[in-house]
Amino acid sequence: MSKPLENHWTAVVNGEQKHLEIAQTTRLVDVLRTHLQLTGTKVSCEVGRCGACMVLMDGEPVNSCLVMAYQCDGSDITTIEGLHGDEKGTLHPIQQAFVEEGGFQCGYCTPGMVISTKALLDAHPEPSQEQIETGLCGNLCRCTGYGGIIRAVRKAGERCVEKETSAEETVS
Amino acid sequence: MLLNRKQSGKRWHLRPDGAPKVTGQLQYLTDMTLPNMIHGRVLRSEYPYARLLSIDTSEAEALEGVYAVLTSKDVPGLNRFGIATPDQPVFCEDIVRYVGDAIAAVAADSPERAALALDAIRIEYEELTPLNSTDAALAPGAPELHEHGPGNVLHRTEIKRGDAEQAFAACDHIVTETYFTPRQMHAYMETEGGLFVPDEEGRLNVYAATQHGYKDRMQLARIIGCPEEDIRVVSSPIGGSFGGKDELNVQPYGALLALRCGRPVKMHNSRKESVRAGLKRHPMKIEMQTGMSREGIIQAHRVRITADTGAYATLGAPVLNFCTEHCLGPYAIPNVDVEGVSVYTNNGLSGEFRGFGGNQAIFAMEGQMDRLAAIMNMDPWEFRRRNMREKNDPGPLNQRILVTDGLSQVWEALDRSELWQKHQSPPADPTLPPWIKRGVGAAIAMHGAGLGYGIPDPAGGRLSLNNEGKIEVAFSYEEFGQGLIATLEIMLCDLFQCSTSDLSIIIGDTDRVPHSGSSTASRSTTMAWMALQRLQSPFRSRVLAVASEISGIPADELVTGPGGIWRKGQLPAESSEVETDVQETGKSEKEVVLALEDVNQTSEEAGKLEKAERIEVAEIVAVGNESDQTAESCLGASPYHAKEGVSSGFVVSYAELVTQGEADEWIFDTKFDYPTTPDNVVGGHYLYTYAAVAAEVEVNTLTGETKLLDTRHVVAAGPVINPMGFIGQIEGGSVMALGFTLTEDAVMQDSRYVTTNLDTYLIPTIQDIHTNLEVEAIEDLPEGDAFGPRGIGEIGSVALAPAITAAIHQATGVWVNRLPVPREQLVRPLNVPLQEGVSPS
Repeated sequence: MSKPLENHWTAVVNGEQKHLEIAQTTRLVDVLRTHLQLTGTKVSCEVGRCGACMVLMDGEPVNSCLVMAYQCDGSDITTIEGLHGDEKGTLHPIQQAFVEEGGFQCGYCTPGMVISTKALLDAHPEPSQEQIETGLCGNLCRCTGYGGIIRAVRKAGERCVEKETSAEETVS
Repeated sequence: MLLNRKQSGKRWHLRPDGAPKVTGQLQYLTDMTLPNMIHGRVLRSEYPYARLLSIDTSEAEALEGVYAVLTSKDVPGLNRFGIATPDQPVFCEDIVRYVGDAIAAVAADSPERAALALDAIRIEYEELTPLNSTDAALAPGAPELHEHGPGNVLHRTEIKRGDAEQAFAACDHIVTETYFTPRQMHAYMETEGGLFVPDEEGRLNVYAATQHGYKDRMQLARIIGCPEEDIRVVSSPIGGSFGGKDELNVQPYGALLALRCGRPVKMHNSRKESVRAGLKRHPMKIEMQTGMSREGIIQAHRVRITADTGAYATLGAPVLNFCTEHCLGPYAIPNVDVEGVSVYTNNGLSGEFRGFGGNQAIFAMEGQMDRLAAIMNMDPWEFRRRNMREKNDPGPLNQRILVTDGLSQVWEALDRSELWQKHQSPPADPTLPPWIKRGVGAAIAMHGAGLGYGIPDPAGGRLSLNNEGKIEVAFSYEEFGQGLIATLEIMLCDLFQCSTSDLSIIIGDTDRVPHSGSSTASRSTTMAWMALQRLQSPFRSRVLAVASEISGIPADELVTGPGGIWRKGQLPAESSEVETDVQETGKSEKEVVLALEDVNQTSEEAGKLEKAERIEVAEIVAVGNESDQTAESCLGASPYHAKEGVSSGFVVSYAELVTQGEADEWIFDTKFDYPTTPDNVVGGHYLYTYAAVAAEVEVNTLTGETKLLDTRHVVAAGPVINPMGFIGQIEGGSVMALGFTLTEDAVMQDSRYVTTNLDTYLIPTIQDIHTNLEVEAIEDLPEGDAFGPRGIGEIGSVALAPAITAAIHQATGVWVNRLPVPREQLVRPLNVPLQEGVSPS
C-alpha cells in the first residue's frame, strides 16, 4: 500500500507561524492568495517572468508562482503585507518612497516591485544604476515606464542608509 | 517648462490611492472573493476557423461539483457583443472564427474542477483553412467570415482633395515606401476577471474592469435580456487597461453563470487565455507615396492603409478612421488621395489601443518626412517646418479645429533642445568600438482627442454636498492607473480652496455616478474640468447663500475654504495651495503612517463582515472614499474642521450647511457633449494635442541591437493639473512606444499565437529603457479657452517610433520601414559601405 500523501504544510508567513492542510503541489502564490487571503501578492504571467507575485523566501526574492508548497515547507516567507516601518501599521521607507515619487500607477506590479526593491537594498544599500537594473529586471511594469520606480528606489536607498547611519551613531 | 518634481513644487500631489497600492491592501476586482463563490471558465475554440458540427456537454454536466455548463442556447437575449458593432458571439453557434472564440462556459466549485469540466465537453469540428492575412481575406473567392460583407471588408475610409495624380506628375521628387506595424499587446499586468454576484433582490452586481461601466451595463442587459437597471457595474480600480479592457471580455460569461447558478461566480483569465482571447493593436500595412517640388514643398500624398481587424469588428472602424485622419500628419498638403480598408481575418482580435491608430499613421508619415528631407539634403526638422500647417489652416480632414499655437511651440521647443542639437553634429565617441553607431532623430505629431464628429460622446458630472458634509463629485470615469482620482482632488482643491479631507470622489459604479461618458480617447481630464466649470457656480452660490443666511454675513464677503465657509481674505494662508509634499513641507512620517492604519482598519473590519457588507467595503476602497481619508492623512489632517474651526475667519462648516434644506437641493448635475468640429466630417476632431520627440540611439551593428539612450518629449496640452500624473503618462507612454518600436509583436502563425506569454512577448524591462527621459510641458492655451487641460494619456506613445527609426538611420544609414525594427536589417559586416537611401528588403 502506498503511503498517503503528506499534506501538512507549515511556514512562518510575515512573522506568524502558519499551518495548513494542502496538497504539497500547490503553488506558493495560491497558498498565499487563496488559503491565507494575502491578495497583496498578485498573479499575472504565472511563468516567473513578470514578478507581480514576488515574495521573500528566507530573505531571497522568489516568484511565488514557481515555488511549490513542498519547496517552501518550513521556510520564512515575507509578502508585501509583512513589510512595514518601525512599527506595524506604518509605511516602510521603500513604500513611502514609491508613494512620494510616483513609483506606481495602476499599482498591480507594485507589491512585487517593492519586494524586489527590499531584496535589492538589503544586498546593496547604496545601489548603482546597474545594480538597480539587475535587481528589478525580473519585475515588469507596463504603466510607469520605470522612471518613477527608479527615482523611488534611489530615494528609498538614501533613506535606508540614513537610518542605518543614525542608528549606528546612537549606538556609538 | 521642464516637468519634474522639483519644478512642480507644491503641485506635486501624492496620490490618494498610493498607500493602499504600495502596501498591497487595495483589493482589485480580481482579488475579491466571497465565501460561497464558485469558479467560472470559458471553453475556447481549438481552431482559428472551423464549422461546429456538434457540442456535447452531458459528461461535463454530470461531473461532481459542476454547477452549470452554458452554450449559445443558454443566452436569453442577444448572443452578441461589441461597443460599436455587436458582431462577436457570446457563444459561437455554428462557426468559430478565431482561437479566442468562446463555445461554452462552466462554473464549478474549484478552478481545477472547472478545468476538468472544460476537458469533458466534446466538440466535433470541421476544420476550415483560416484566412491568415488581409491578402488572403481580400483574395477573390475567399470565404466571407461575416454575412454583412461585402467580402471581408469591415470598413473603408477615404480622403481625396485636389488632384493627386496630376500633382505627382509635376513633382520633382517622390518617395515611395511601405510601412508595417506589429500586433502590439496591451500587456496590462492584471488580466481580465472579476466577481459576479446576484443579490436577493434579483439584481446582478458585476465587479469587473472596464473603461465605461454604463456601456458594459447596456451590453450585458442586452445579452441577459433584462432592464439595464437590474445590473450594477462596479469597475474600478483596474490593474491597467490601455484600451484593452474597453470591450466586454469575461463579463458575459460571469454574468450568465452567476444568474444560472444563483451564486457568486469568480472569473480570472490566465495570461495565456488573456493573450488568446484579448484585443491587440491593429497590425497595419501603410503604403505611402509623397511628392514634393524642387524647393522641398510637399505637393501630393497618396496613402493606402490596410488594417487587420481580426475575426470581429470591435472598434476596427473608428480606429481606421483615426488612422486615416492622422496619416497626413500636421502638414499642409494640397493634393491628397488616401484610402483605408479594415479587413476581417481569422487572426487574433484587434481593437482599441492607446493612440488608436495614430501610432501606425505617424510612424509612416514621419518616415516619409525624413526620407524627403534626406533627398533635399536638408535638416529634417527644418523640412518639417517648411511643410507644417499654419495656425489657422483647417484640420487634416479639412475640418475646422480649435486654433492654438501648440504645433509651432513644440517644434521650436524641440529645436532648441540640447538633444536635438546633437543631430547637427552627430556625436562621435572615439572610445566606442567601430561597430557601435550612434544617431539622433526626431518626430512631431498632432493627435485628436475625443471620439470625433458624428459619434455620440456624452459628458457630464455631478457635484454635491453630501449628507456627511463632504464636497462630492461623481463621474462615470474609471481609475485604471492614470491618476484620475488624484487629478480630481487637485481640481477640486483648486476650485474651492478646500482640503482633500473635505472631498468625496465617486467613480466606477453605475449605481452611484451619472452617465458622463467613458475614460477613453484622452478625454477624462478635459471632461471633468469642463463639468466642474459648469457646476462650480451654482454649487458655490447655494453654499454661500445658505452660509450667509446662517451667519448674517453678506454672501459676497464669503468664500469656500478648508472645512467650510470663511470670510473673504481670511482664509488660512496655506490652504490655497495643493500642499502635499511630505518631505518638503517638513510634515513628519507619522502623518503618512496614519494612512496605513486607516487601510488596515478597513481591512480588519472587512474580515468580520458578512458577504454583502464585505463587498460594500471593497467597493468603497475602489471608488475612492477610503482614499480620501488616506489622502488627508498623507497630507496631515486639516485643522479647520467644525469643532476645531476656531480661527477668526471661519464662518460655518460644510457639515452644518448641509443640514439646511432638503438633500436634493445640494445636488447639481450637468450634461453636455465633448466638443466637436462644427463641420460635417464624421470622426473629425476639434481639440488636438501636439508633441515633438527627439531620440538618441546606439546601434550595435554586429548584433543589430538598438539601445535608446536619451529622449525628450515636448507636449503642448494646456495647463498641467497633476504633474506627477503627467510625467507618469508621458514616461509610461514613451516606454510602451519603445516596445512597439523595438521588441513587441504578438506573432501569429496560421492564425495561432506563437508568443503566448510575457516570456516570449517582450515588453521593455527596467534594463531596456531610456533612463534619460525629459518631459517638457507647454501649458499655453488661447486666452479664454473654454476647454481647459487636454488629456495626455495617448500623446506620449505616438511619436517615439519614427524618432527612433530616424535616429537609426543617422547611425547606420538604414531606412527602417517595419516595426518592431528587424535586427537583421541593422547587422553589417565591418568596413562594408552602406548604400544611402535604399530600403533593405
